[in-house]
Amino acid sequence: MITYDDEVVCAPRAGTLYDVLELILDRGMVIDVFVRVSLVGIEILKVDARIVVASVDTYLRFAEACNRLDLEHDVRSKTVPEMFGSPVAKTVGKAGARRTARSLTDKVRDVLAPEHDREEEAEEESEGRPRERAERGRSPQRPRGRTAARPRDDDDRPRSRPRRRTDEEDR
Amino acid sequence: MTAPATTGTAVDADAAAPARKALYVYGIAPAEVRTPRSPGVDGAPVRLLTESGLCAAVSDAPPRLRPRRRDLLAHQAVLDELAAQGPVLPMRFAVLSPRPDTLLAQLRSDCAHLTEQLDGVRGCVELNVKGTVVPGHFADLVRRDDKLRSLALRTRRRPDYEANVRLGEAIALGVRREARRAAREVVDQLAPLAVRTVRGTTDDEQVLSASFLLRSADETRFREAVAARARACGDRLTLSVTGPLPCYSFVDPRPAASAGR
Repeated sequence: MITYDDEVVCAPRAGTLYDVLELILDRGMVIDVFVRVSLVGIEILKVDARIVVASVDTYLRFAEACNRLDLEHDVRSKTVPEMFGSPVAKTVGKAGARRTARSLTDKVRDVLAPEHDREEEAEEESEGRPRERAERGRSPQRPRGRTAARPRDDDDRPRSRPRRRTDEEDR
Repeated sequence: MTAPATTGTAVDADAAAPARKALYVYGIAPAEVRTPRSPGVDGAPVRLLTESGLCAAVSDAPPRLRPRRRDLLAHQAVLDELAAQGPVLPMRFAVLSPRPDTLLAQLRSDCAHLTEQLDGVRGCVELNVKGTVVPGHFADLVRRDDKLRSLALRTRRRPDYEANVRLGEAIALGVRREARRAAREVVDQLAPLAVRTVRGTTDDEQVLSASFLLRSADETRFREAVAARARACGDRLTLSVTGPLPCYSFVDPRPAASAGR
């Protein structure tokens, strides 16, 4: 039932340079009579690679996903598979995890290899979105009362994201 | 047409310095190892300097050292090759010895301590386990947690930008807290399988980073244990295992300092 657990989330990732970066840079031996070259920019690189989750953008994504949950009646007695089985929750969880991971690796890739071309990133972005939209379109069990609230909700969101989405559609 | 230029630099390097050139140091191993074949930092060939039963893998230091992707990978590749042959004490990236004789003198004077450390990692590998937050169970969290649930309902009744940010922040916090709890459980379960365990720095996204020193024979068992934990907590934490690695985390960072200061 919870397929994404096994296939997407749990599959242990192969090690990338990012995964050993802190070991190569911060662990290992340094001998006093040797010189450690000071690496300009390395601190920035490490900090920069991390600032992803605690951002307003992430908060808004959580809020948006949360607003699509059915919270009107008490579902706390439901079993876990039932809850994750709902198409909305599943997509959000999946896309969210994947997107977060992607933004992280992309950032690292950018920093470590500035010559890397950005096309791939744009491609990945546009691949994720349409599915999410389709899912939202056909979600059947949304209570009546909330449809009224939706447009306002959309207005509250910052403009940049919806607009970028249309740009991608035009291409 | 570029051939003359290339030959030119090679000649320069030879002429510049049989004795005076700084060395980039990769690591220290017992004297009997084979010279690594992978190119070193800046593409320089790696060679071994031997003294007192120990040898250091070195290459000519590049004129300017930066943490470039290919140089970090070269450092790692040289050490991997040494580690495949037996114990090795990996240096941190960007450690230089000003002259070859400084390096040899260091091997001589610190021989006992270095040998002892080599024995400490003999037959062992380092595996690094990282865990990043996964928001897969956030729906469950919102439904179970009364505070989050009522905040969500309130936000839904009066949706605006501020309220959405507050709600999202509260959810993010809850998701992170759950991931941290899962991370603690993971370390508690894995540590008994390892000879030693060292924790690394964590942050809001990566809530687990720990290195485990394992006897090579236990590696498979350890990986199975990680996979089992990954299945158990996959909705809160993504686990990744990197390794086997040279034992970066299990060498005394400054052997000379402990003796000298």
